Amino acid sequence: MSTTYLNFKFILICFLLLASCASNPEIDNATMLDGDQIFDASLYNPAQYLVSKAIDNPSTIQKNMPVIIAVHGYSAATFEWDEFRTYSNANADILISQVLLGGHGRTYEEFKKSTWRDWQEPIMAEYNALIAKGYTNISFAGSSTACPLVLDLIQKGAITDNGMKNIFLIDPIVIPADKLLTIIGLVGPMLGYFESTNTATEENYYYHFRPQETLNELMDLIDKVRKDLQNGYRLPLGTQMKVYKSIKDDTADAVSAVLIYKGLKKQDGSAIEVEMIDSNLHVFTRLDGRDSVTQKDRDMQKQVFDDMLQLLQQ
Amino acid sequence: MTKKHLFALFLMYASLCSQAQTSDTTNDWLGELKVGIRTQKTQKLYWENGFSADFTSPKIIKNKLHLGFSYVTSRLGSAMGANAIKQDNYVLNFGYFFRDQKKLQPFTRINTGFFYADYESDIFDELPNTALLFSLDAGISYKLKAPFTFHVSAGYNFTSGTGAEGPGTLYPIYYQMSILYTILNKK
Repeated sequence: MSTTYLNFKFILICFLLLASCASNPEIDNATMLDGDQIFDASLYNPAQYLVSKAIDNPSTIQKNMPVIIAVHGYSAATFEWDEFRTYSNANADILISQVLLGGHGRTYEEFKKSTWRDWQEPIMAEYNALIAKGYTNISFAGSSTACPLVLDLIQKGAITDNGMKNIFLIDPIVIPADKLLTIIGLVGPMLGYFESTNTATEENYYYHFRPQETLNELMDLIDKVRKDLQNGYRLPLGTQMKVYKSIKDDTADAVSAVLIYKGLKKQDGSAIEVEMIDSNLHVFTRLDGRDSVTQKDRDMQKQVFDDMLQLLQQ
Repeated sequence: MTKKHLFALFLMYASLCSQAQTSDTTNDWLGELKVGIRTQKTQKLYWENGFSADFTSPKIIKNKLHLGFSYVTSRLGSAMGANAIKQDNYVLNFGYFFRDQKKLQPFTRINTGFFYADYESDIFDELPNTALLFSLDAGISYKLKAPFTFHVSAGYNFTSGTGAEGPGTLYPIYYQMSILYTILNKK
């Protein structure tokens, strides 16, 4: 085989590799969260979103009030729990901490370099800050990727006995609906990023471009959580869990609820509560910003919010 | 085992038997019959193990077309003593093997069959837990001097779950290895 032929082959392989490496996405700074002009509101005014920052010296009454740490999913922002805050303010006497996941709500570049452990860090920071301030009635509500993040915290014992009263999981993702996520490590470097189809409102709160690096992180997280559930573990003492899962979900496969139900038990070994929801929305509790919302969707959202508030105030 | 399981088994057994009965009429139909174990790993999901059978005939493209059946289940893999979902795959395959006189034979197969997942609680009754399987796989077969043959292949399943349809733990990409013992050889 001649040297010329080998050189040609080498140049051809290099060319194909370079051609397959995607360029940076074209970000519209004025309209997209990905850009350098729109940031999550909690970064400007943390006290409006975090109970630990809002109340310097909580009274005894405040310390015993239900406080819920509400956390959004992958590529989303605190907006995902705005409707719950609005509904709770009108219908219950609870405190809400809307936590922004690490790496989220900022520029595309900051999102790109974040890991799932970075995403998880602000949840523990707020939980520890609330404990340090003496709050005794802390609960958690997570949507989509927030759920495997808190499941990992439970598995590694970061949530202490009687540290959380209720944990609500909305459309948890353990099994992805799009199974091609399982080969993201292979196709991701060739494509660079994936584009999502957001509505005009959603563009302000959800990343338009999803870096392949973060999808790899998401796959690593859910793969770890799936294996942990396969081995089985228990909730801390004094903690209840309820899972609400859409039956048809094009992001988090409904079978995710089966894996959580099988793998995670209460401290006494009894089963956790699971309610399958007749919906085809992913994170069916967030309706604002969607193109088409039916009365049935609104009824379902209200029913679940009422159920959560009732459990929180028991 | 449900009626669906039994029906799927019956169909596949009947298909294999029809080949065997034909061979009763004349030994010319007999090629090789191998049986053995199969282990399968789905990309980012379960280990599933079971058994496999492979039949060839000199009357069917001169032993190049292989007719096979396999059953693999997570019950003998990831779900053994763990909380993985118990699921079963009943697969009929039709494979074309190249270099049929050689020890090392590349092959490609069309696979079809039935998938069943047991969610074990009526909370999940509304979720789809069965599917028809349709996949393609390709790999290599290596025949030892002893009556053993190894098959190694990678496959793509076209009927995996999508969130809106199909069982969620039916994944697209899988790898399998079979170790087969030749119980009949009339080649």
